[in-house]
This record gives sequence, C-alpha cells and structure tokens, in this order.
Amino acid sequence: MDDKITLAVREKAKELLEQKVVDCFIGYEKATDNLTSRPLFVYKPEQAERLVFDNTCVHNLSKYLLNKKDTKTAVVAKPCDARAIVVLLNENQVQREKIYIIGIVCPGVVDSRWGSAGTEPEVRCQGCPQHTPPLYDFLIGEPTDEVEQDAYTDVTAMEEMGDADREAFWKEQFQRCIRCYACRNVCPGCYCPVCFVDLKEPLWAGIRVAPGENWMWNNIRAFHLLGRCIDCNGCQRVCPVNIPLMLLNRKLKKEVAQAFAFIPGMDPKALAPLATFKKEELAEPSK
Amino acid sequence: MSVEEFQPRIIGFLCNWCSYAGADMAGTSRMTYPSNVRIIRLPCSGRVNPMIIFKAFQQGADGVMVSGCHPGDCHYVDGNYYARRRLAMLEPFLEYLGIEKGRFQLEWVSASEGKKWSQVVARFTDTVKSLGPRGKI
Repeated sequence: MDDKITLAVREKAKELLEQKVVDCFIGYEKATDNLTSRPLFVYKPEQAERLVFDNTCVHNLSKYLLNKKDTKTAVVAKPCDARAIVVLLNENQVQREKIYIIGIVCPGVVDSRWGSAGTEPEVRCQGCPQHTPPLYDFLIGEPTDEVEQDAYTDVTAMEEMGDADREAFWKEQFQRCIRCYACRNVCPGCYCPVCFVDLKEPLWAGIRVAPGENWMWNNIRAFHLLGRCIDCNGCQRVCPVNIPLMLLNRKLKKEVAQAFAFIPGMDPKALAPLATFKKEELAEPSK
Repeated sequence: MSVEEFQPRIIGFLCNWCSYAGADMAGTSRMTYPSNVRIIRLPCSGRVNPMIIFKAFQQGADGVMVSGCHPGDCHYVDGNYYARRRLAMLEPFLEYLGIEKGRFQLEWVSASEGKKWSQVVARFTDTVKSLGPRGKI
C-alpha cells in the first residue's frame, strides 16, 4: 500500500516538473540510516526517483513553503500538513496559486527516531480525526469524508488533576526545557520575523534557562498558537527533552472548539477566532 | 508582635476610559475598599495582551484582574470584544497550568460605576486572600 503511494508521488512529481507546472517539488526520501525518512527538494524530473512515502514520513513539510513564496512549489501533504497549509492561507502567508498540494489519504505514521523505523503509531495518529486532507490539488488514495470527533482524552485526564498537582506537573516538565527553540523552528505557525522570546525590550522571557523563564516561554508559545495549532505534533516530536507540548496546544484547541465551534485548518476562507468577534457571545462575567 | 494577615498583591489592568475613571469615581465619592489592587492604566482592555498576564503571574502576583468598558461601550468601538474572546480563552488555560480559578478575573466597570468598582475589588481581594499567597515562578 505504501509502495503504491510512493509510485504515485514519483509519477506526479515527474509530470509536474516535466510540464513545468512547478519549479520545486517537496517530498520525502529515505534517510541515510535507510530506515527513517527525511525531506527532499526535487528540482529536476530525473531526481523524482528518489522520492518515497511510507509510515516514517513524519515531517510537516508545509513550513518550507514559507521560504518558497516566490516559486511555484508542489508539496506532499498528509491531512495534518494540509491543515497547516490552510492556516498559512488563512493568514496570507502563502499564495494559493503558488502552491500545488499533493494530498495523501494518510494511513498514519509511526513514532520513528533516527536509526529505528519504529512500529508504534505516533500520538497524533492514535486519535486522528481526519484521514483525507481538507485541501488538495491532487489526491493519492481513496477519499473518505468522515471527520471524527476528537475525544480529548489526554486533556480531560489533565483537567481531572488537582490545581496543585497540575502546577507541580508543569513545573517538572518545564524545568527540563533547555530552550533550544526546536518547537518553534519546526512549527508552521511560528513564522514571526522576530519572536517575542528574542526581544530584549520588553523582556518577556529572559534567556536564562530558569523555571520562571521557561514557564513564560512554553506557555506563551502555546498561547500564540491558539486557534492556529493543527495538531501535527511537530513540537512534541522534536523536543529533545520530551515535554508533552501537545497537552498545552490541545487544551487550547479544545477551548476554542467549545467556545467558538472552530477547528483550525479546515476552511481556507475562515478567520482566526481571535481576529474576529460576535457581539452576542460569552456570558457576562459572574456577578 | 501579632501575626499579620496575608495581604495579597493584585495587579489590575484598567482601561483608561471606563474602569480607570470608575475607580477614580470610587475615590472621589470617598468609598472605602481594599488597597490590594495595584492599578496599571491602559488605553483599552483590548490592549491587554495575555503575555502581560503571564508575566504578572510569573513575577509573583497573587491575582490579576482586567477591567474595561461594558461590551458595546468601548471608546475604540470594539476593543473590548476582542479582549473578551482572548481572555475567555486565557482563563481556562491559566487554570490548566495550575493557577487556581479565581486568581484571574475580567470585569466590566463603567466610569459611573464607582460603587461597582469598590464591590468588585472587595470581592476579588477576598477570593485571592482565601486562596493564599502564590510566590514567583
């Protein structure tokens, strides 16, 4: 089944590059450990043979579109990656006519690390609500319309803890943070030319690796993705100290879904929930 | 020496046009209310970036309150509508981080509501007092 996707991707890449529909094709190739995958940029039709797609293709390639704003680019997108592209379109970061989306009906990816292909499905795939990309120009696989309800079991488990336990939990998690900013660099939603954390004036989070500074960084990072995080698990996957960042993102996703019935990355025309308002909503503060 | 009662440190972000004037009204009307709120005057409740609330808690605030014009009365037409959405999302998130419910509050106080301001502050101070000190993160 994976082989079929690989062949289809190669064929499409060759066709698009030969007909000069796109100048660049972003996909995956086998990494040098011969087990995992890595991103590949294809510029010539004959290089298309290197492309693969299997269940180790964990990366979200949509972030690369931000560096390809002026060239017509095709990109291989799993449903979560396609949702990221929708968010970038929502925010006018990429132009629709400059991108060509190869949607893939995703069978799920595995938790693969360098040197081991892995067998366990990744966290995001275990409760994945959507197997067909919401937006594509060319689809590989049979589309299924169903979008399941997200159960948020992980978030609910956190909510059931006591306040003090939760505070202790996050303190323990954040104190491991080494502030490498891998979570930011991998995130398709984090494209600000100057990130708040790099500002000296005002100093939101100091560069010191200390509990308070780490607390500021991780929380504000999550809050800046409110109504924008598309559950691609990138931040948690790249975190070298395994902080469960998706627990923060998913909490906010749940709140947004409940309050505004909004799920990011579904509609290219939709406005971000914090960029708009309704006059009659959200009950008056408690008297 | 007697043991002093815990006096919470509360930061209040007030909009210039309604709540700040409302607090002023409470003062000129000689109403008494707890002095625990340190007021920071902002042009609009829409100016309240959630980052400054995170920062206040990180720096050791025991409670944070945001107060602005009633929805529909914003001096800048719709600033408080945006603030309402943003802060409605912030409140459960703070709780999720382990900051007890009740340490953060959003209130609408108009320029003529000096009495309401004094009541709001008294109630909020009581709540935060009962929750106890927090300390810096």
